Amino acid sequence: MPALRPRRMLILGSVEMQKRTAQTQTSTHDTPPGALRRRIANALLFGAVLAMFGAVGGRLVYLGIHTGPQVTLAVSDAVPTSFARPDIIDRGGRLLATDIEVPSLFADPAIVLDRDEVVEKLASVIPDLDQAELRHALADKSRRFVWIRRGLAPKVAQRIHDLGLPGLAFRKELRRAYPAGELAGHVLGAVNVDNKGVAGIEKHIDDVIGVDAVHGAELSARSPVRLSLDIGVQHTLEDELETAVRRYHTKGAAGVILDIRSGEVLASASLPRTDPSRPAMGLDPSRLDKISGGTYELGSVFKTMTVAMALDEGTATSATVLDVREPLIAGRFTITDFHPAGRPLSISEIFTLSSNVGSGMLALQAGPEKFRGFMQRIGLIDPIHTEAGPVSAPQVPERFERIELITMSYGHGIAVAPMQFAAAAASLLNGGTLVKPTFLRFRPDAATKPVQVASDLTSREMARLFRLNVLDPIGTGKRADVPGFRVGGKTGTADRAESGRYEEKTVISSFLGVFPMDAPQYLTFVLLFEPKGTEETGGQRTASLNAAPVTGRLIRRIAPQLSVAPLMAEVTQ
Amino acid sequence: MRLANFAAFFFAMASAFMLYSLNYETRRLEANVQAQEKAAGKARSDIAVLKAEKSHLSRPDRIDALARAQGLTPPRPGQMPNNARLATATDVDPGQR
Repeated sequence: MPALRPRRMLILGSVEMQKRTAQTQTSTHDTPPGALRRRIANALLFGAVLAMFGAVGGRLVYLGIHTGPQVTLAVSDAVPTSFARPDIIDRGGRLLATDIEVPSLFADPAIVLDRDEVVEKLASVIPDLDQAELRHALADKSRRFVWIRRGLAPKVAQRIHDLGLPGLAFRKELRRAYPAGELAGHVLGAVNVDNKGVAGIEKHIDDVIGVDAVHGAELSARSPVRLSLDIGVQHTLEDELETAVRRYHTKGAAGVILDIRSGEVLASASLPRTDPSRPAMGLDPSRLDKISGGTYELGSVFKTMTVAMALDEGTATSATVLDVREPLIAGRFTITDFHPAGRPLSISEIFTLSSNVGSGMLALQAGPEKFRGFMQRIGLIDPIHTEAGPVSAPQVPERFERIELITMSYGHGIAVAPMQFAAAAASLLNGGTLVKPTFLRFRPDAATKPVQVASDLTSREMARLFRLNVLDPIGTGKRADVPGFRVGGKTGTADRAESGRYEEKTVISSFLGVFPMDAPQYLTFVLLFEPKGTEETGGQRTASLNAAPVTGRLIRRIAPQLSVAPLMAEVTQ
Repeated sequence: MRLANFAAFFFAMASAFMLYSLNYETRRLEANVQAQEKAAGKARSDIAVLKAEKSHLSRPDRIDALARAQGLTPPRPGQMPNNARLATATDVDPGQR
């Protein structure tokens, strides 16, 4: 039995299959044509749906994997562009300039319904609005964008918004803000209405560091630009200069403070000041940056260079004595001393007593080649520039004849910018290496080797003479002394040349100070333009009576800020 | 065949629903990102203004005037100890104090 069951099943199965096959054949032959078409249509539809899903799926996979080309949109109207700028900070990280968001007002003339109403109502909120120009701009309906006022104060923007005038709208823009106001205005420079640097450090940022073009008010992600300035020292310098302007009734004043080892400018000021947030102010000639933007005959302070030249070229030593009793004659000119000593003077005395005849003799002894060569070496002949812009090129005589040598030796006939002069003087007092003034925080570069422009011996001797000029009771710099801080320096009182001749009553008085003299670190150069004689100065206008005491007061305030410790032995003097 | 049609229809509906959900979720996330970016931009702007205001309030000429009004003056050299003086101060025998 067990052997039969499969066979029966096989037989039964074959019979069943035969029946079903027969039924199928019968039904196929019996299928009406409409039903067949429906099936074919269904199959086609099914295939189409599958194909579409396949296409969509394939496309999604393609888009997920493949990043297509950047899409570029072209618009008919120019989109206003502004520039995002990095912050400017001082050497201690204190903020000097930053970008802030401000609303700017524009109009779409095509939507403005009543331009007279718009102009009149806007003028009530913005009094200095140019109504005629705005009326003319709004009349052109083909324009879709007209700036009305950029960089509005938030309160003013709110008042305009409250007017509810159709066709007006605001756009957020970046505006440069200077939290310290006019402080270091000449150095910082200015930006234009598009926030692009046009002067000073701001221009340097555009040219060298970089800014980002933005549409709208996207703040810069760049690192702040760290300056060498110290805003505490900068404020002190400006404050002392302002006091000096009032005290000595000067037409202006200027000053610069340098680190003589690194060339960093710690402060630079020129009065009258300029406001970096008002760029037009910088165009006023009276507000010229006198430190870098003007050249001046500096007078006796230039004897620093002459004496250093004589020492460095070996044409004299500090022990050399010159007979200065007779005036120097050059053509129709006679050169005399302001306070004739009436006896031969050593080099030290020529410096401390500021002898014109003595310095003229030193220049003549050296001769034109050595004189010019030394001035070129310490950077007083060729133009220089800083990050704040080019420094006015020195005005140097074409030929160095006898008269030119004599006059240049005591600071006339050669005009240099105070910044350039200060840098050259710093080179003489820092061991003799060339100083390139910089407004950026100094980072020592191992690849840059210092350029030796004077011997270390000359530098030390000049430091001794500077200190002597302040310590000596008859030295011209004695009023610059500050007990404890070891100040050294040299005075200069230069007659100003006007209309081709020198005016004795209009002078530039200056004082070149250095401290602490046991290890010279900081240099101050203060200039007073056309000071008047006062009761305090006994009616005199010489630098020893005005620029020197200003420097003393300045150093008294900045030395503690610069961490210069006083020597107590001198404090108790 | 009918089953396949139903399956395709179901698949189509499910896909449509899923795509709609994804689209909706994407838009929601985009809006969320935009809101976050706007908030971050606003915060950055506020920080910039606050930094500027802080610097304006602590500008040296203002601090100078306030300090002088309080009777403070610039430090005098005699107020500042140097290294030699500090060394002397630490050399004092504690027993003598």
